[in-house]
Amino acid sequence: MAAPPPHLLTIAPLATFSPAGTSRAWCSVPHPSAPLLATASSDKSARIYSLTDYRLHSIASGGHKRSVRAAAWKPGVKGESVLATGSFDASVGVWRRWDDGEIQVHKDPRDEDEDEDEGVGEEEDGWRFSVILDGHESEVKGVAFNAGGQYLATCSRDKTVWVWEEIEEDNWETVAVLQEHEADIKCVVWHPQEDLLASGSYDDTIRLYREDLDDWACIAVLMGHESTVWGLAFEPIGNKSWAGKGALSSEQQAFFDEREKSGPRLISCSDDTTIRVWQRKPKEHVEVPTGQGRMPSILRTHNIEEDWFEATRLPQAHSRAVYAVGWSPITGRVVSAGSDGKITVYEEQWITEPHLDHSGTSASTTDPNAPRTEWVVVAELDGGHGVFEINDVCWTKRRDKDRKNNDEEIIITTGDDGEVKAWTMNEK
Amino acid sequence: MDDDIQNANPTILNASDLPSRRQDSNVQHRKDGGTGLFDALMPSYAYPYNAPETPSDSGDSAEDEIREEIDEQEVYDLISNISDPEHPLSLGSLAVINLPDIHILPPSSPSSQISTVVVDLTPTISHCSLATVIGLGVRVRLEQALPPRFRVDVRIKEGTHSTAAGVTKQLGDKERVAAASENATLQGVIRKMLETCE
Repeated sequence: MAAPPPHLLTIAPLATFSPAGTSRAWCSVPHPSAPLLATASSDKSARIYSLTDYRLHSIASGGHKRSVRAAAWKPGVKGESVLATGSFDASVGVWRRWDDGEIQVHKDPRDEDEDEDEGVGEEEDGWRFSVILDGHESEVKGVAFNAGGQYLATCSRDKTVWVWEEIEEDNWETVAVLQEHEADIKCVVWHPQEDLLASGSYDDTIRLYREDLDDWACIAVLMGHESTVWGLAFEPIGNKSWAGKGALSSEQQAFFDEREKSGPRLISCSDDTTIRVWQRKPKEHVEVPTGQGRMPSILRTHNIEEDWFEATRLPQAHSRAVYAVGWSPITGRVVSAGSDGKITVYEEQWITEPHLDHSGTSASTTDPNAPRTEWVVVAELDGGHGVFEINDVCWTKRRDKDRKNNDEEIIITTGDDGEVKAWTMNEK
Repeated sequence: MDDDIQNANPTILNASDLPSRRQDSNVQHRKDGGTGLFDALMPSYAYPYNAPETPSDSGDSAEDEIREEIDEQEVYDLISNISDPEHPLSLGSLAVINLPDIHILPPSSPSSQISTVVVDLTPTISHCSLATVIGLGVRVRLEQALPPRFRVDVRIKEGTHSTAAGVTKQLGDKERVAAASENATLQGVIRKMLETCE
């Protein structure tokens, strides 16, 4: 077998956000519109960094009694930023801060008194701890807003996923408590278009949920991982990874059209060191037969269960637990990182010719079930945070003044050393 | 209190039977003067950032040099004096920690600096509910004392405990270990266990 081709891309250090925290940082989440990044820290605070100069912007602190494990920005908010934080103290905090334009107004000396008069809760660096969501019985491990911003999902070691809805400002209602997992739930993510929620757990499974007749229910269980599922990411909508590669052949077009019917795929990473891609089987709209064989259910007018299967695995790149995966909306590339400190970038490529190690050559080319694409490692870097573990990795658009273009992306990693780093992808 | 003791009559090894550098004439004699001294030099609550480099004459010692300085015996010395949570005895003398069950794995690739310390524990009785606490104490001790380039895997030896795999999985979960170390009660128990490591 031929040696794998050398990687075409390099991962180059761009910046370390400063000042870094002095203890473990768990994850970093880019703001949906502003050039800000929220880092959940074991020092009980969320550090907000600027993506334009890689410096500390503000700190949301004074709300949690233990480590802040997770953070999520509420999308679609105007004039202010809303951040949800999940903590080992079993609570979820919702923080608000007027956007910097507004802050400039407040810096007018006449407004200072006004600020003091407000006196709403803890206020530091402009962050107001506006509401605390109590309900979980033990450490909160993950928080996520749906694309529309009205739902907040939270998960905990108490084996439950909660879905909260903001009825009106700072008035949150519990709309679901999902008790499907058999253990500690590590992460929650929402589908980019649908109100479909996914959770990954210490019980090695992934579960999917959706609302059905005013009630949220588990609609699929994804089994396959052999240990804790640490991270999940949905394929971003408008994954344009194939568009930039020139005209598609009719064969390719047909393949992608067919796959489009499944909708965005889901990627998962695990303590078992594997990264897997899951895909939905498109539903065939078959009428439920009536008559003697099967009675249509009276309670459930339609079947909301979905059939998801493991479509493929990414090449084995990590030697220890993989804690996080990110899926780029621009390039369709996936980035992963974990306990071994390595950052790996993968790309999905069309299989142009059958592999040489297949024996029956003509048979394998015509096999309709043969995979048409494969994931290959296009870049990797050891020791991203020195000898420390990397707890989180994601893509975000580059916002500093030296960006090559408005679509340039950077990788953000978050480590046990308390540091958050930005990386660029360069052609070799 | 006595009612709580799960194993009232554990087998105790003689101190002279425990493995130590002094009995191992094949091992090159080292400048740090052996196990006792080494222990004293290891602050037990140092955070990884200021984890002491192992005592060495060459202050600017290369990474490779440090790598060779930590071996299984040293790991044993770091953890064998941890006290059992229910007996005034060390985990070494109770044979919960045994030298042959400690392994140091080199980096998995030439570009990696990460070594792995694997410790297999043998609980004194097969249903001991304290196995998790003991394992946590060992993990905390090693994370505090070893340089951060070491990953620490503390496991319960297969076949020695009714829920060995379950306890091992918990001990391998950094998030649970981190949350446990923020729990005051558990922290107190572990601090007490580690007092004898000074």
